[in-house]
Amino acid sequence: MEKKNRLVAVVEIGSTGIRLVVAEIDRDGFWRVVDKAGKPVALGRDVFTSGTISREAMLACLGVLHGFRELLKGWGIEDDEIRVIATSALREARNRDTFVDRVYLQTGFRVSVVEGIEENRLMYLAVRYALKDDRPQFTRSNSIIIEVGGGSTEIMLLRRGKMVAAHSVRLGTILIDQQVGQATGSNRYLARFLAESVRNMRESLSAEMDLSHVRTFIVAGSDARLAAARLGTEVNAECSVIERAAFDAFVEKIQNYTVEECVQKLRIPFAEAEGIIPGLLAYKLFLECTAATEILVPNVSIREGLLITLASGVDPELQEEFFSQVIASAVSLGRKYRFDEAHSLHVTRLALKLFDELKAEHGLDRRARLLLEVSGILHDVGMYIRSSGHHKHSQYIVANSEIFGLHRDDLDIVSNVVRYHRKASPNSTHIAFIALQREERMIVLKLAAILRVADALDRGHSQRIAEIAVERRTDTIVLRPAGQHDLTLERLGLEEKSDMFQDVYGYKVILS
Amino acid sequence: MEKPKSEYFNRDLSWIDFNARVLEEGLRTETPPLERLKFLTIVSSNFDEFFMVRVAALKRAARSGVGRDPSGLTCEQQLALVAERVRGIVRRQYDCLTKEILPALAKEGLELVRPGFYSPFQMHYLEALFQREVFPTLTPLRVEEDADFPFTGNLRLHAAFLLSKGEAGEAERFAIVQVPSSLERVVWLPREEDGRARWTLLDDVVLTWGYKLFPGYSVKEASLFKVVRDADFAVDEERDDDFVEAMSEVLDGREQSHPVRISVSADSPRLRDELARRLSLGSDDVYEMPGPIDLRSLMDLTQTKGFDKLREPVWKNWWPLGLPEDEPLWETIRARDVMLHLPYESFDPIVRLVQDAAADPQVLAIKATLYRTSGDSPIVRGLEEAARNGKQVTALVELKARFDEGRNIAWAERLEQAGVIVVYGLARLKVHAKACMVVRRETDGVKRYVHLSTGNYNDKTAKLYGDLAIFSANDELAYETSLFFNSITGYSAVHTMRKLVVAPTELKHRIIALIDREAKRSNQEYPGHIIAKMNSLADIDVIDALYRASRAGVKIQLNVRGICMLRPGVAALSENISVISIVDRYLEHARIFYFANGGSEELYLSSADWMPRNLERRVELMFPILQEDLKRRALGILKTYFRDNCRSRTLGSDGVWTLMRPAEGEAPFRAQERIYEAMREEVEAIRGAPRQEFVVRRKPPAARE
Repeated sequence: MEKKNRLVAVVEIGSTGIRLVVAEIDRDGFWRVVDKAGKPVALGRDVFTSGTISREAMLACLGVLHGFRELLKGWGIEDDEIRVIATSALREARNRDTFVDRVYLQTGFRVSVVEGIEENRLMYLAVRYALKDDRPQFTRSNSIIIEVGGGSTEIMLLRRGKMVAAHSVRLGTILIDQQVGQATGSNRYLARFLAESVRNMRESLSAEMDLSHVRTFIVAGSDARLAAARLGTEVNAECSVIERAAFDAFVEKIQNYTVEECVQKLRIPFAEAEGIIPGLLAYKLFLECTAATEILVPNVSIREGLLITLASGVDPELQEEFFSQVIASAVSLGRKYRFDEAHSLHVTRLALKLFDELKAEHGLDRRARLLLEVSGILHDVGMYIRSSGHHKHSQYIVANSEIFGLHRDDLDIVSNVVRYHRKASPNSTHIAFIALQREERMIVLKLAAILRVADALDRGHSQRIAEIAVERRTDTIVLRPAGQHDLTLERLGLEEKSDMFQDVYGYKVILS
Repeated sequence: MEKPKSEYFNRDLSWIDFNARVLEEGLRTETPPLERLKFLTIVSSNFDEFFMVRVAALKRAARSGVGRDPSGLTCEQQLALVAERVRGIVRRQYDCLTKEILPALAKEGLELVRPGFYSPFQMHYLEALFQREVFPTLTPLRVEEDADFPFTGNLRLHAAFLLSKGEAGEAERFAIVQVPSSLERVVWLPREEDGRARWTLLDDVVLTWGYKLFPGYSVKEASLFKVVRDADFAVDEERDDDFVEAMSEVLDGREQSHPVRISVSADSPRLRDELARRLSLGSDDVYEMPGPIDLRSLMDLTQTKGFDKLREPVWKNWWPLGLPEDEPLWETIRARDVMLHLPYESFDPIVRLVQDAAADPQVLAIKATLYRTSGDSPIVRGLEEAARNGKQVTALVELKARFDEGRNIAWAERLEQAGVIVVYGLARLKVHAKACMVVRRETDGVKRYVHLSTGNYNDKTAKLYGDLAIFSANDELAYETSLFFNSITGYSAVHTMRKLVVAPTELKHRIIALIDREAKRSNQEYPGHIIAKMNSLADIDVIDALYRASRAGVKIQLNVRGICMLRPGVAALSENISVISIVDRYLEHARIFYFANGGSEELYLSSADWMPRNLERRVELMFPILQEDLKRRALGILKTYFRDNCRSRTLGSDGVWTLMRPAEGEAPFRAQERIYEAMREEVEAIRGAPRQEFVVRRKPPAARE
């Protein structure tokens, strides 16, 4: 049987509108967009001002989604090939569950709300796709990928193509507009307000990367695409470039336009005109922090990111590349808290070795391995605060940080794993643990058990045990380090920390 | 011409010039008489629409005190000039009709017999006919001084009678009766031995025996008249829910709106003045016709069977050569774009596209815009069938297509019943773009087939209107056609596109940008060149862009059939612009635009004229011709018109159109004929040749398992 091409659809419920793409994915995982549609709905305006989605906006959404239903029927696309995602507006709406339910009952679309950091991931995939290999400096210099949306700003920092940090910050065009509007409503105030916000953000980012060394400035988002359509030149079909001077001049020119003037002079729809000035101004201010001479504007969005995910769901190479970005981001977080890099990475290596050897025992998948890897890297970051009780500090730091590519759910697992890398096992007073799903709790136990053993093997933080061989017997796991060492310290540690392993896997661990 | 001399011509006077050109085609003595009659009826029907829409609008503008038009005329001046010119044309029209065409027809055995010339036998026959068939349908209405004037509708032929009891002192009475529109206006008289086909007019019969409606009175005077009313008012766009009903109300309203013109027969000055007074029309609005009034209803006569020698020989509509008839359309169009030049080539491929799509199990969806389509059109039937076969069929039906609204409502509802998703146009905008798309799921993925055209999906006008269309499966074009449909069916806001240009969002801006680009690239060595063919040129911004280009040295050749507000050939303004107009047997309808673009030539087809109405208040499409051979072909067609020296007229800087004639020693060149002949030769050369290969019908390999 010949494998047929698939048609898939991605619908995104954003803070300024609802958009759809239909793509065809061929058997080799190549995809092309065959249809798209989009209508403005001011969800963000509702949510960021009142906290909930109004009845009118909900009806407007349903109207648009009904239309999309009909459109998709014309393509004969099955429900399991349709992905409906919602971003910041819905994420923050108090009545999001009601909304999701209404949409499902009335249109049959199952909405999944993506997190900011997942948005980052999708955006990263889309940007990589759009840049192709046409901007080689991306992998050589420092880059920033930024999108100012309606309710949040997504920022990714990359050093030589490797993810250093990914953040989703609560700075959005609608929010800005609202805050400024409440103050005075004048555009001059807007500029000052934005300048302050950007300065603050720059300071917090500078711990991770010095923005003044950024050479590649990549801007995603519809405002930037509008500017690119007027000022840019094409790098390829999916990406344009704007000279910095031209961009600055353009922003300078439109900065004092009213929304109506934007509609008229730029010939753009009202819904887009509302956010264009704060959006572009924010980009300009960020640009000023960097050494970039041009702005790259990929003509893609998270919808394309999701399409790439759908198309390459089985592409191991791309997945590994993506995982390596997650690891880079975790390492970067560790450095921010001045972790003992050698120890952490060493423990991680040992833990992964155990993970791989014990596949039959734990039955976990590749993603769990990634979470273990991140947990290993970050298990000691709490030391930054205080050595005593540092596992709890680690948990706190991880739970409140952002790691590129990891969902909230993933972070909940990782923060628990690092929490249990030493001291007490979970019990019924550990709220963060109990809050997890049953399956997730199992993952935490299995991973933490492995991490504890691995940590014990580098008790002295001296990386004396470089390699281990794992030998399985009926009721024991025997770990044989390569080479000859005095293992007293490690054995002691193992005695102390292998209790959980024994509980979870039913094996005693012996170092011989 | 008009004073003060302006950079622009007046729009409505320019339109009247166009109708004068149509008339001139009817004046040609070398043309067969029924063909001439057809041009004369077109002149009348054109004027009816012109009064309903343009004159009505001018009158309203005059009432509300709108200032001068771009040519510098006030509304009153325009109205006066319009009346003067129309009268001149009507005079020439009736002179020609009564002195040339009717006698010529009579000579050939097609004889109109007017009252007063009926033979006793004919009198007898007609009286019996009146009693039997006409009388029961007539409803006479008395006109009272102190009551409202009775309902006379729009464009409906009526008879008016001045009655008296014949007793001295008895006041005269005044009555009107509508000439039944359910009966044919041309009444054939029984054949006599000489074999001549004699005919008379139903209105003459009503006028002659109308006295029977008024027993006890005698008819002192009688006259025929027709009221033309303001039809240029908009439907209430706020009523989205019941738009169909709102539209129906507009149609009713059109029957009762302000009268703008009355045509009367030259039978009774008293009745004429009385009618004008009662309808509150000034003397400018009264048009007395020196002959049968309402010529447009004589259109049927031009189709009379058996008088082919009084008509031009029929030109065939060929099945396009570029589209092998015995192969699936899909295969050909997938391989290459195909151009269709209506009406030289036939409309059948478009019908077949829809029919094939309806029956094809691989087809997922069909989308089409329907503007002026007839209800029994094979396209509409094809769409119905497709919907019944489970395809998703979307039809955008433009209810607001002027004067076709009634027809549209009926079949749109029928489509809906068949399961077609019917979109009743867009609020405040008429959808004038012509596009059709078929989505097909093929073994190597989805494929879309589009048909984009300058003309409507109307199989009737497709035999008379000169239009260009392309079939294409080009991915980018098809993708953007999808986006276009998404926006007009309400799924989506308008997207910016690379290939298609949509009005009212982008088109005007793009046309001006293309003209300006040509100006910018023009230099001494490579002067720019624009050739554009359209129905009307009336957008001041576009005209200004053309003036700029002319000043930059761009050679601009315009082929404008109708209104042209651009003043060509004026030094330091438009000296590089020339304007021609072609009026011939086929109605020129294609909009083709050529830009030399520094050697990288671009050709576009469009549904839009360069008028504010098209560029700002309608949804229109402009699309590029992408395939090299088709570009050459379209350019060839464009250039052919400028070689015409028979049916072409050039516009002077003084606003006067001059008919081109072959110069000394020059062969006559008639563009439409040349295009037809060239196609005929090509078709005969290829179709005449015996087949080199048989077309073997087998299932595709994949289906054979």
